[in-house]
Amino acid sequence: MKKKEVAGGIIVLFLITGISGYLLAQVYKVTKPKIEEQKRIEEEKINKEIFPDGVKFEEKCKDNISYVSVYNSDGEEIGKIFKVKTLGYGGYILLKVGVDKNFRIKGVKIIHHSETPGLGSKITSEKFLSQFEGKTIDEIYLKKDNPEGKIDAITGATISSRAVVDGIRKFLKKVKK
Amino acid sequence: MKKLIDFKNFINPIWRENPVFYLMLGLCPLLAVSGSVRDSLGMGIAVIFVLVGSNFTVSVIRKFVPSHVRIPVFIVVIATFVTIADYSIAAFSPEIHRNLGVYLPLIVVNCIILGRAEAFASKNNILNSILDALGTGIGFTIAILLIAIIREALGNGTIFGNPVFGTGYTPFLIMIMPPGAFLVIGFLIAIKQGMTRRRKC
Repeated sequence: MKKKEVAGGIIVLFLITGISGYLLAQVYKVTKPKIEEQKRIEEEKINKEIFPDGVKFEEKCKDNISYVSVYNSDGEEIGKIFKVKTLGYGGYILLKVGVDKNFRIKGVKIIHHSETPGLGSKITSEKFLSQFEGKTIDEIYLKKDNPEGKIDAITGATISSRAVVDGIRKFLKKVKK
Repeated sequence: MKKLIDFKNFINPIWRENPVFYLMLGLCPLLAVSGSVRDSLGMGIAVIFVLVGSNFTVSVIRKFVPSHVRIPVFIVVIATFVTIADYSIAAFSPEIHRNLGVYLPLIVVNCIILGRAEAFASKNNILNSILDALGTGIGFTIAILLIAIIREALGNGTIFGNPVFGTGYTPFLIMIMPPGAFLVIGFLIAIKQGMTRRRKC
């Protein structure tokens, strides 16, 4: 290969990469506020879904754990919402769990996961997550793992189900201390 | 001489030379995402967008790109369009973005797109390249939707999340798991081959 050909190739590749980079920067600039807006709306929606009677949601931080305090219309604190990160079958699962003052579970919502589509991704289903409502910490086991457990695993997705259940239980135990 | 616009480029890849059932390209995302119809539709639209974008760009620059750097150039072009699609879907439909997960960025390595850029767009004019991209993209979308409809209906009893078989139906679970994808695609390829082969004689 001649030197000229090599130089031509380098220049073309350099130009194309430069143009692509510039284009992407523009697209990123346009979509970034929208993506963040979507995320914020979603967070608020999730908080509201966990605590339908919550009026004020305040972000707080204590002992290196950030959480959201929920107040009702009388200005009384009715519960907290924690973010929990746990290792599932296909990567990290990020979820929100709301508890009332007595650490009974108010609701669980999955924010992000990389579980197998169609199988492990069913951890986001209402059928699975509604099982958590009203349970105490000691009841959050899979039925097949512990006789005290009250949570049914998803068929074909035991590892994902267990990750959610164990993640929530371990986190809440740590926080409660 | 090649025609300026040849609609065969659009018609052929939709069914007869379908990228999935005939060229057997792009099977990885196809197998992975076809568990639910809604995700498949999102995937199909993303692939159409990336294909049209990359085929168009490759066709425009085909005369300036020396052949020994063409593959890296094509990959850069494709990656750019995939990233644009990724950001846009995240901005406008976070739910589909969440469900497609890692398979959306992985469109970069979908062989259909590089295959069409290399085999078609780098040798043909802009209009024909766009037609070819649309046809190939629609062909891919039809294939992934077909598989998804069969898998979701049998494996979950639903289509687009709506129950189709009534309450007494016990889901045929293996269809929603990876082996189900292989089974369905195998049968579909066999049916397609049976239909098109016979016609030739």
